[in-house]
Amino acid sequence: MTDTQWPRFMVFQQSELDEPFVHNGTVHAPDPEMALMNARDVYYRRPKAEAMWVVPAESIFSVTLEEQTSKEWQQEAEGAGIEKEFHVFAKFSHQGQCEQIGIVSANSHEAAMRLAIETYTDKQVLWWWVFPSDAVMASEAEDTSSMYDPSLEFDYKSQAAYPVVTMMRQIHAKGKLEE
Amino acid sequence: MYGASVDDFDLDQEENPEQLANFEARIARGEKIEPGDWMPSEYRRQLIRMISQHAHSEVVGMLPEGAWITKAPTLRRKLILIAKVQDEAGHGQYLYHAAETLGATREEMLDALLEGKAKYSSIFNYPTLTWADIGTIGWLVDGAAIMNQTMLARCSYGPYSRAMVRICMEENFHKKQGQEMVILLSQGTPDQKAMIQDAITRWWWPTLMMFGPHDSDSPNTPILQKWGIKTRSNDELRQDFINQLVPDLQALGITLPDPDLHYDDESENWITGPIDWDEFWRVIKGDGPVNKERMAARRKAHDDGLWVREALQAYAEKQAAEAMPA
Ligand SMILES: [Fe+2]
Ligand SMILES: [Fe+2]
Repeated sequence: MTDTQWPRFMVFQQSELDEPFVHNGTVHAPDPEMALMNARDVYYRRPKAEAMWVVPAESIFSVTLEEQTSKEWQQEAEGAGIEKEFHVFAKFSHQGQCEQIGIVSANSHEAAMRLAIETYTDKQVLWWWVFPSDAVMASEAEDTSSMYDPSLEFDYKSQAAYPVVTMMRQIHAKGKLEE
Repeated sequence: MYGASVDDFDLDQEENPEQLANFEARIARGEKIEPGDWMPSEYRRQLIRMISQHAHSEVVGMLPEGAWITKAPTLRRKLILIAKVQDEAGHGQYLYHAAETLGATREEMLDALLEGKAKYSSIFNYPTLTWADIGTIGWLVDGAAIMNQTMLARCSYGPYSRAMVRICMEENFHKKQGQEMVILLSQGTPDQKAMIQDAITRWWWPTLMMFGPHDSDSPNTPILQKWGIKTRSNDELRQDFINQLVPDLQALGITLPDPDLHYDDESENWITGPIDWDEFWRVIKGDGPVNKERMAARRKAHDDGLWVREALQAYAEKQAAEAMPA
């Protein structure tokens, strides 16, 4: 049984402290702490990140524009649980990805979704995500430098470190590289 | 699993002409299809097939280059190669994720690979014989992959397209570090020149095969183009690649192993001789130079990692037990 895959966690990245968290992908891990470590290795091999979240995939409720009009999920919106905070994420452009836009307080995922759609009406949203804020495992501020800074020094991981266009231009023009 | 969460799939969606027309109109408008949106089951099937094969290729693609990490000639070249191989591991992860959003599980994909049932790019079943192969792979193999991946970055399925955007950024580093090596070797000592000539001679034809069979033998292409998964055909991409590479390789004094290669003024294309498709199919079907070694190495890596997975699992269980109120 240890040879099977673990639960999925969604990975979110914050590039600058005043920017929203943005969805990046997923990792599998036995627990949130390990998910955070895997996410760092898989998604942050290059600059630049300030912080990272992992959220169990099963705790995220999503509604696409196409699903928004369907009645199915809206009927379940009358939850009876305790009110708590939900993060709201939205995708605004077809090329884009889901990014953090705010927080609502609700007693179920569906109620949070309905509230989000009613609250954030100023922009056309193509895809909505909500998840309870207590489902988030965040990287610690004190770990930021040890987790993300080392990659700042790896200049060779960037294509800019290889002047091949210039080299080829010299060879086409003179038949050899300039000294 | 939660309601219509991103993990939720309605695999038995009834297909009706109205939904299909709406779906195709969305693609025609350039919209991205996201998990949860209605899609024809054939669209889902084709994407799972393509994305999982692509993921396997990234993972198996670590092996030919990984073999040279300990033999890199300088510390800088070693660091570059480690970073590149690590990127390929990441690419495999991004792509498995994209396939999972369509309902494929990671277990079934990994099992298919380890059991030898899954396909991956034929190019990785050729051996890396010298250090010059590492530069050649970067420029030619990653360069060919970029042609394909740049196209896929515009594909109609959101998660696949986003994975490709990220991958393309990193691939440009792979291609350029390889091209720099090829340039330097081609301008080096007689031994270095001979080594790079030999590497290009061996990798040239297998690289051209990476783009897949001719359009006339690619039955999936029309439907993939119609649904915006591919926007260009195998032959178009291959021709672009040849046109880009031939003038540069010739300028470096490298001879390509193709007596029929010539420039066609009318079409403004470099025209190659015939590709040996028998070789391509033989390698795809498991009879390439190192298919068995690649799969054995992959299985060994998976088995050797078992104790790590067990340890992580035990740690997670212990933490969970301690967190329980006494
Ligand atoms: Fe890659
Ligand atoms: Fe690559």
